[in-house]
Amino acid sequence: MTAPANTKNIRFKIKRQDGPGKASYWQTFDVPYKPNLNVISCLQYIAEHPVTVAGEKSTPVVWDCNCLEEVCGACTMVINGKVRQSCSALLDELLKETPGGMVTLEPMTKFPVVRDLWVDRSRMFNALKTIQAWVPIDGTHDLGEGPKESAENQDVRYSLSRCMTCGCCLEACPQFLLGNQFIGAQAISQARYFNLHGTGKVLADQRLDAMMGPGGITDCGNAQNCVKVCPKEIPLTESIAAIGRQATVHAVKRFFNGPPRK
Amino acid sequence: MSADASPNAQAPQPSLLAQNHFLLRRLHSLSGIVPIGVFLIFHLFTNFQMLVGNFQHEVEFIHNMPALIYIEILGLWLPIGFHAVLGIAYTLGSNPNSIQYPYMDNWRYTLQRVTGILAFLFIFVHGAKLRWGFTFGGYLDTPFYLHGPHGEPLATASTAIALQHAFPWVLVGYVVGVYACVYHWANGLWTAAISWGLTLSVAAQRRWGVFCVGLGLALAVFSAGAIYKAATYPVADQQREMIRLMEAGRTLPAAPHDKVLELPLPAEEAHEAAP
Repeated sequence: MTAPANTKNIRFKIKRQDGPGKASYWQTFDVPYKPNLNVISCLQYIAEHPVTVAGEKSTPVVWDCNCLEEVCGACTMVINGKVRQSCSALLDELLKETPGGMVTLEPMTKFPVVRDLWVDRSRMFNALKTIQAWVPIDGTHDLGEGPKESAENQDVRYSLSRCMTCGCCLEACPQFLLGNQFIGAQAISQARYFNLHGTGKVLADQRLDAMMGPGGITDCGNAQNCVKVCPKEIPLTESIAAIGRQATVHAVKRFFNGPPRK
Repeated sequence: MSADASPNAQAPQPSLLAQNHFLLRRLHSLSGIVPIGVFLIFHLFTNFQMLVGNFQHEVEFIHNMPALIYIEILGLWLPIGFHAVLGIAYTLGSNPNSIQYPYMDNWRYTLQRVTGILAFLFIFVHGAKLRWGFTFGGYLDTPFYLHGPHGEPLATASTAIALQHAFPWVLVGYVVGVYACVYHWANGLWTAAISWGLTLSVAAQRRWGVFCVGLGLALAVFSAGAIYKAATYPVADQQREMIRLMEAGRTLPAAPHDKVLELPLPAEEAHEAAP
């Protein structure tokens, strides 16, 4: 079933891949235009009408999504060459960027493809484990009240807390590659976030140790794409500078104090 | 999203490079600033004295510094080699994407890697030619002589002959090489302040950026002055002939001016001795 002939169509060129490690290929689909479409609603139309422009019967294009309001990060993909969330990618805006009316969808290139536009973002969650991105309050004893938080600190921490682990910063980073071990802006910023927390800072030295090995903070090349593509406007480059300073101080302390006593 | 499969796998002992990863990266940054960057400032300021000041006197001062060879090896060649080897290795591990994400900072990033490689090639050719006497199969026959056989000052004339070389690529290569060095140093100084954690906020990074741009422009002006002077300096026929004869008659390829310095003649005698 194809779109009715008398409506204006939007053409989607989609990079597809049938499974991990399989070869990728392109397919084009037409979606009838309606006001206020987003990329997800177009993908839903294609799932319902998986017929290519050439009239060939295909399979529904697979993608990952959850919240549909740009707070979960799951539907991140490369849209017209730029990484962003497909739920907040509005067709009326996209069509202004591309007067020809073609929208290109690709999976993120820095994460292994599961299928079509769906990628495996585990590397980001493993990075959070590496830097111990949590507040260690587990235990059976009463820890009492937490430390007081200043308004200034709260302000900074709120901006960092908005991270939804979507992967935009890593996709746009020229230093973060599919085959290397760079930890990237997302985890660096979370290390700063938890090092600023009154209780979370007890793990600060361990976070910095993890951050100073291969793939750590020093592998940043200061291209600063991360901060520009971040949909949550997190001050990622300031986080990188802050962790850079903490690492410098930490290294000097380690040099003069020696390694910590076990 | 599936979790990582092997949290309990026995990790092998990390390599020496991996154990000192942070130190190596920070030494890479430091070696670019001190001594290489500081040397670049002095070098380009010295060159500028071709236009304003006394270039001959400055070059003589440098060539007469005590323990010059140790200063060169420890302060220049080793840091440059270290910075270059690590820099090229880091560059090979990156994937510049300035076409896809054409932000100014991203172009700055890509240009830093391009100018790093250009600067390394240039510094190698520059040092190999002028310090070690390589001629690159005769294509770069531009010797540097501080003095003529009887103490005649030749520093500016040698530089001028080199930049007015019959092959314009000597001048083009020189200009590209010098400006690659200037960009690489000014931009490196800007990014180093982030890497070391000096400029924490975007506003501080912008302020430091103004300083780095100013420094880069100052160095660019110094170089432009020197290049202008060398490219327009009227080389006297006798200076040209003197250099040609010295070039033809020399037996040792390295640093011929050092030997000349051993028997300097008074200035009036030197004028009479000139053919």
